[in-house]
Amino acid sequence: MSRVVFDRVTKHFGEVVAVDDLSLEIYDQEFLVLLGPSGCGKSTALRIVAGLEDPTRGTIIIGDRVVNNVEAKSRDIAMVFQDYALYPHMSVYDNMAFSMRMRHVHHRERHQRILEAAHTLGLETLLRRKPAALSGGQRQRVALGRAIVRQPSVFLMDEPLSNLDAKLRVQTRRELIKLHRRLQTTFIYVTHDQVEAMTMGERIAILKDGALQQVARPQDVYDRPANVFVASFIGSPAMNFFQAELEGQTDRLVARSDSVEFPLSAAQGQALAKLPARNVTIGIRPEHISLGEPSAKADHCMLAAVVDTVESLGSEQQVTFSNADSTIQARLDPSPALREGEQVLLMFACEHLHFFNPETGLRIEDQRG
Amino acid sequence: MAVTTGEPVPRLPLPGLVARGLTQLKNLGFGVLFLWPSILLFGAFVFYPLIKSVYLGFYESDPLGNRGDFVGFDQYRSVLAGSAFRHSLRITFQFTMYTVPPAIVLGLGLAMLANQKLPGISIFRTIFASTVATSVAVASMMWLTLLNPTTGLVTWILDQLGQPRLNLLNDPDWALVAVSLTTIWLNLGLATIVFLAGLQSIPERLYESARIDGASRLGTFLHVTLPMLSPTLLFVTVIGTILAFESFGQIHILTRGGPLDETKVIVYSIWENAFQRFDYGVASVQAVGLFILVLGLTVIQLRFLERRVFYQ
Repeated sequence: MSRVVFDRVTKHFGEVVAVDDLSLEIYDQEFLVLLGPSGCGKSTALRIVAGLEDPTRGTIIIGDRVVNNVEAKSRDIAMVFQDYALYPHMSVYDNMAFSMRMRHVHHRERHQRILEAAHTLGLETLLRRKPAALSGGQRQRVALGRAIVRQPSVFLMDEPLSNLDAKLRVQTRRELIKLHRRLQTTFIYVTHDQVEAMTMGERIAILKDGALQQVARPQDVYDRPANVFVASFIGSPAMNFFQAELEGQTDRLVARSDSVEFPLSAAQGQALAKLPARNVTIGIRPEHISLGEPSAKADHCMLAAVVDTVESLGSEQQVTFSNADSTIQARLDPSPALREGEQVLLMFACEHLHFFNPETGLRIEDQRG
Repeated sequence: MAVTTGEPVPRLPLPGLVARGLTQLKNLGFGVLFLWPSILLFGAFVFYPLIKSVYLGFYESDPLGNRGDFVGFDQYRSVLAGSAFRHSLRITFQFTMYTVPPAIVLGLGLAMLANQKLPGISIFRTIFASTVATSVAVASMMWLTLLNPTTGLVTWILDQLGQPRLNLLNDPDWALVAVSLTTIWLNLGLATIVFLAGLQSIPERLYESARIDGASRLGTFLHVTLPMLSPTLLFVTVIGTILAFESFGQIHILTRGGPLDETKVIVYSIWENAFQRFDYGVASVQAVGLFILVLGLTVIQLRFLERRVFYQ
């Protein structure tokens, strides 16, 4: 049972900055997901906690202990690797027993723990097999089992689901959530998959180029992304962005982009009035765009656009529209079915607009936030 | 070559059978066509000499090297049970024990050194591997010079240390050791290269996993490195043993089988009988004996060791 703290941790690989001044506290028994595109430093951050990499600067705390100079084996952690890193010459049983043998855990205790873990993970019938004789999903469970028998206070997982097929991934996701609930241990989970992050994480920490962008509960990350990067990274299809100029007075502010005009509410106007310059980046999620009718209310921002591509998912259609230079993505009801080349009127739900400072990319909080 | 489906062959009407036979014949023809370069090479340099050796073993040779009387298995019996053959057999086994295990241990050690991630390590890898590119003759001449009892480096070092000079190559107790040293040095390059390749094929993740699992350096070596390296170990053991049994060049150059036959391994004895005494009959019998011995040893090694080998 342990919290994990990154205190101003930086990691250089030669010229490359893999982790950049990362400060982050992962609470005791929390399921925290480190999310980011490949090369963002999330795996390096995890490996620093594991003791497989030394930070260039900064402090790592597990529990109440600074572990910078503590060896990997003494950090009371267990790690599940992306490729599982099972010992190929050992049976499933021996793979699980190895760490306990190295720690001289009594063989009866060892046996007991292995049987328990095998029972939890449904591995009882596979204990005598070698990893080569297992399917991907089974190997993944052995890797988990190997971590569980250690009874560590922190679980570190480095993209453990990415080698599984889609169906198994969904199933294992749920099993991991249940496992976390049952073990009541701190989980740090690295992934580039936002669905995994959203569904499993109690909090998500988003990294880009080694720097922390935002750490918050999944819904908060989605509803109030801290900057343009987070806004574009979370959500599929991605958020639409417009560069707009502000016109008019604070209470009747209008944001005008090349293609569309957004009349703003008083609250939004007040928030934007603090901006030093008169331009703003406006973001809107694809589900907040709908097909407009000519008689629509005036406070909805409208845009004439041409249907570019239609991807029908059955329950909805994801449509890409084009307007002059910009492309706009929307998630729409399956009916009416749209055809490519069709001219439509798009309606933006203006209460769901996100505003960002175009200079810094940072979110501008309006009153409802 | 023949097409097999694994299903029971349906009963074909006669013309069908004939057609099938023709197809198989055609396939066989194609197979032979692809194989003929190796058949030719193996035939000329392996199968023909082998059969000829077995054949010659049944005949005595006259002092001029001509085929003499047919003696059947008598010659096999007398040569293989004779004290000279038993002596060279003992020397050969000794030589193998002196050369193969040390080359494996040292080769593995050097490979593990060369496997470190250090700047400039490739220079050391090249140096460690360089004896592969050294011919037996060159290596032997080098060691002959080093071990020269009057002008050699070893002698000089002993002089500096105030120790009595050694004449290793002429000392019946030490000659085999000296030849073995040369051979170990010569084989070390190959062993190092093969072990290095084996080490580099072990995924880094396994070592990281072992680190987290709490394995010590020794534990990691015993439980991860060695088992993962077992196919390489088997390969080096088998090939090393065969090479040791076939060694000739360094013995010919360094000691000529002496002193007092203390370095006369089987191959050297065969060479002496065949090309010094022109006793092809005896030499052939020895050669066949050596062949069966090496074959047997290899089979035993593969049988017993392969059980302990883990292939990925």
